[in-house]
Order: sequence, then structure tokens, then C-alpha cells
Amino acid sequence: MKKHNSFSIEGQKARWGWFFVAPAILFFCLFSLYPMLNALWNTFFNVKLLSLKKPEFVGLKNYAYVLSSPDFWSSVKATVIFTLSSFIPLTVFSLVFGLIITTRKKGHQLLQMLIYSPAVLSSVVAALIWLLLFDPRGIANSLVNFLMRTPGIDHKWLTEPAKLYMATAMIYFWKYIGYFTIIVATGVAKIPTSVLEAATIDGASVRQTIGRIIMPLLRPTTMMVSIVAMLNCMKSFSTQYLFTQRGAPNAPLNVLTLNIYKTAMRDRYISRACVMSFILFFFMMILTIVRMKTSESKE
Amino acid sequence: MLRDKSFSNRMSNLVINILVAIFLCVILMPILFMFTASFMKSSEIFSMPYRWIPKEFYVKNYFNAVTDYGRNLTFVRTIVNSLIVASATTVLSVIVSAFAGYGLSKFKFRGQQVVFLMIMGRMMIPFEAIMIPMYIIAVRLHLQNTYTGLVLPFVLNTFGIFQMRQYLLSFPDEVLDAGRIDGLGEFGIFSKLVFKNSTPAIATAAILCFRGQWDNLLWPLLLSQKEMMKTIPAYLVKFTEEKYADEGAMMAVAVMASIPIIILFLTLSKYFLGGSAMYSSSKE
Repeated sequence: MKKHNSFSIEGQKARWGWFFVAPAILFFCLFSLYPMLNALWNTFFNVKLLSLKKPEFVGLKNYAYVLSSPDFWSSVKATVIFTLSSFIPLTVFSLVFGLIITTRKKGHQLLQMLIYSPAVLSSVVAALIWLLLFDPRGIANSLVNFLMRTPGIDHKWLTEPAKLYMATAMIYFWKYIGYFTIIVATGVAKIPTSVLEAATIDGASVRQTIGRIIMPLLRPTTMMVSIVAMLNCMKSFSTQYLFTQRGAPNAPLNVLTLNIYKTAMRDRYISRACVMSFILFFFMMILTIVRMKTSESKE
Repeated sequence: MLRDKSFSNRMSNLVINILVAIFLCVILMPILFMFTASFMKSSEIFSMPYRWIPKEFYVKNYFNAVTDYGRNLTFVRTIVNSLIVASATTVLSVIVSAFAGYGLSKFKFRGQQVVFLMIMGRMMIPFEAIMIPMYIIAVRLHLQNTYTGLVLPFVLNTFGIFQMRQYLLSFPDEVLDAGRIDGLGEFGIFSKLVFKNSTPAIATAAILCFRGQWDNLLWPLLLSQKEMMKTIPAYLVKFTEEKYADEGAMMAVAVMASIPIIILFLTLSKYFLGGSAMYSSSKE
């Protein structure tokens, strides 16, 4: 049966199919599957980098250590606050601006390009620009003081925890708002004009058109935007890293990715870093599954 | 759609235009700041109110940035590194993605569904979750401070594979059959017919990959301890640590680090925008 198969046209085509997917499978196994299993394995051992001795089995000790460490929970707190304070404004405002820019017909292409431009810059560049804007002598202070008529006050953007949360969330918002606005605008543009015309003929007001027709049709896009934004925020690293390297206080910036990096590279606790990686992975996986489910339900 | 000649509509039109203008100002102001500040001395950057046009163009910032105050050309080396790593990753990942996308869309074989699900499942694994074991593997294989080590982990581009597959699903089978009748081998069909006619999907995947690599800080930070093997984001971080008070030079480095990607954006903007638009189109 098998032999017959390999000589038939179907069999030959099947072999070519395997040939074309083979590189992807190879890279998947080497650089995704193996590291993943390795990470899981590491969490149960006491792994030392560059040590030739066989790592010692410690069971769930690493999990116990991480879950009872205040440092880890402060990281969770920092990640959650940062994620919430960036992705909620991102979702809300990308919807608003997405609706607005689709009504502008003139210079559509140029408008889209300008809005998108911050997403082109790399995260480190973005963080660096805002580091200077938030400097005690910088534009942020001068602007806020001008608007609130409080001359000469330093708002301590880079030293007070609450302000640091605002500052980092602001950077993220700035960098990605255009990106998500364009996703929303594309979603709006996909709504058939006939539906909107029918609504206008039936005498629906602008508010009704938006609330009753556009928003429900846009729900999958909205879900998509909010989850992708949330996933991106949870992975944020560059901004926090640059800020701490410039001497900003650690606690509000110590997001999980930064903590993993430091635990592994500075303190050399590979196993603990792997445990934290897994916890991060777990939450991101749940979000990804939700995202896949919602995009399926659109079909 | 929402257009009418009545007065209230013209008013709301005006309000919307003002909103768009404010939005654009907020978005563009920091970028403008980066460019103008790169031509200023630090004292001028922080003299409020900010002058949006430099008093005199202090070009020395750029000299200091490129030559590290006349000491060395590490900056040039890192930007070349970034170009090499980003280009190599892009080329390899586009080939692997096009291969896999073609194999998954135009062939039928046992286990195909499993392969597809496996690759899609990869989307759920954030790089951050596997970077530590990846680092250990790289150390064992002596890939620290090498281009190979910087490139290999990012060749598998799940999003690119998915996109190629979706694109090729609607690629006409007749073209492939015509190629077979004309005596092209399977590989010839792929390279001469499929690859050449998939420019939109390939360009979008390539741009996404290149931009991701240009932005990548975490992996090079782990892998490249040697100055000479750093990439541009890592160099930027180091420069800001060392030259704590020379903000003008920092901005000059930031501008130069952005120029390659800005040129790419200006010439291929439709693929940048298409990449983000894909989120709302891939599920139809």
C-alpha cells in the first residue's frame, strides 16, 4: 500500500508537501519546541549556567520560592498596572480615532502614514525621546505647568512610582495608538456602505449609526485590538530597561520580563527565571486562545 | 456617509478636523523633538519654552555620536551589525515562510493538519518564555557574539507562514498545472510561478520581520557581550548610560538609528500599513 502510494501522483505530491514544510518544522523543533521543553525541565532542577555538574532535582522548590518571593509579586503588580494603564486607553482611543479618520477623505494615505509613524521607530528610541521629554527640566513639566498655571513645579515623572506608571504607559500609548487606529479604520472601511446607506435612508442619526450598527459590526476588531494590545504590553521590556539603566527607581518598572532578565543574567538563577517565564507564558496563552476563539466566531 | 450640507454638520466637520489636528500634533511632536534636539546643545534642549527650530545647528552632535567623541567607530559597526542581522533574518524567514505557506496550502499530505496546528500553536509561545533555555543552548553551541546566534531563533515567523498560506489558498491551481504541463519541476513551479507572484504577501512578511529585528533589544542583550557584536538598540542603551548628560548626542544616535527604518517606511509604506490592516482582514 505504502509503496504503491509513493509512486502515484498523490504520493509524489505528498512528498513535495513535506519537502516544503520541512524547514519550518526543523526550526520549530530546534528553536521553539526544544527550548520550551527545556524550560519546563529546568523549573524542576537547580540549573547553574556553565556548570558541567548534573543539575540537582529539587521538585517544586523553585515554584515555591518564586511564588513566595515579594520580588516576584511586586513584578506581577508592576506588569498588571502597566498593562491595564496602557491597553485600556489604547483600545478606547483607537476606536474613537479609527471612527474619526475614516470620515476624512482628503489625503487619506498621508494621514495614515503620519499616524502610523511612531510605530516605525524602535522601542528604545521611543523610550529615549520620552526620557528627555519627562526630564525635570523638560517639556512635560513645562507644558503641565503652563496648562495648570503652576510655574516652576517639578512633577517628578521619573522618580515617583505613580508618575512612572503614567510615563511608561504614555510612551506605549504614543507608540502604538496609530498602529491600532489603523487596524480599527480598516475594520470600519470593511463595513459595507450599503448597510450605512440603508441606515441613513431610514433616518438614523449619527449616534444611532455608530452605536447600533458600526459598533456591533466592529466587535471582532475591537476584541482583536484589545487582546493584541494587552499581549504587547505584557511583553514590554525596552522602555523599562532603559529607564532603570538611567537610574529610575526599580519597583514600579520591574515588570516580569525585566525581572526574568535580571534573575537569569545578573543573579544567575536560571531555574527561577524559567518559572517566571512559565507563569508569564501561561497568562499569555490564555489570552491568545481567547483571541483565536473570538476571531473564529466571526466566520 | 455622514455628509450633509446643513450647518450643524459643517460645524461637526470642523470639530472633527480640529480633533484630528490635535491628534496629529501629539503623535508628531516627539518625533519632531527628536530631530530638532539632535541639532542642539544640551543646555538649549532644556531651556524652556522649547525652541522648535535650533538657534544654530550644532552638527557636532552627529560627529560625537558617530565617532564616540573621536575615539572609535563602534557606532558604525553596530549599525552594520543591525543591518546584517535584520536582513539575514528577513531573507531566511521569508524563504522558510513561503516554503511552508506553499506546502500547507497547495499540497495534501497526512499530518498536514498537525503541522499547521503546531506552527499556529507557536504563536502562543512568547519569545520571553523561551529565551533563557535558548540562551543556554546558544552558549553550549558557542553562538555567543555571532551573527548566527542572533539570527537563528527568529527565522521561524509564524505570522509570515500563516499569511503566506492564506494568500496562496486563493492562488489559482490552473497556473500551477500549466507549469507542470510545461515541464517545470515542483521546485521550479515554486520559484518561477509562486514566489514571483506573491509580492504583496512576501513584502508584508518581510517588513514585519525586518522591523521586529531592528527593534529587538532583549536577545542581543543576552547574547552579545562584546562591543563589536552589539546591535543598534543595545548600543543606544549603552550610549545613554555612559554619556549621561549629553542629550544632544543621544538624540543624534537615535536619529541615525532610525534613518534606515524611516527610509524603508517612506518607500514601502503600503506594506507597513498593510501589515497592520491584516489583523482585520486575515479572518474573513
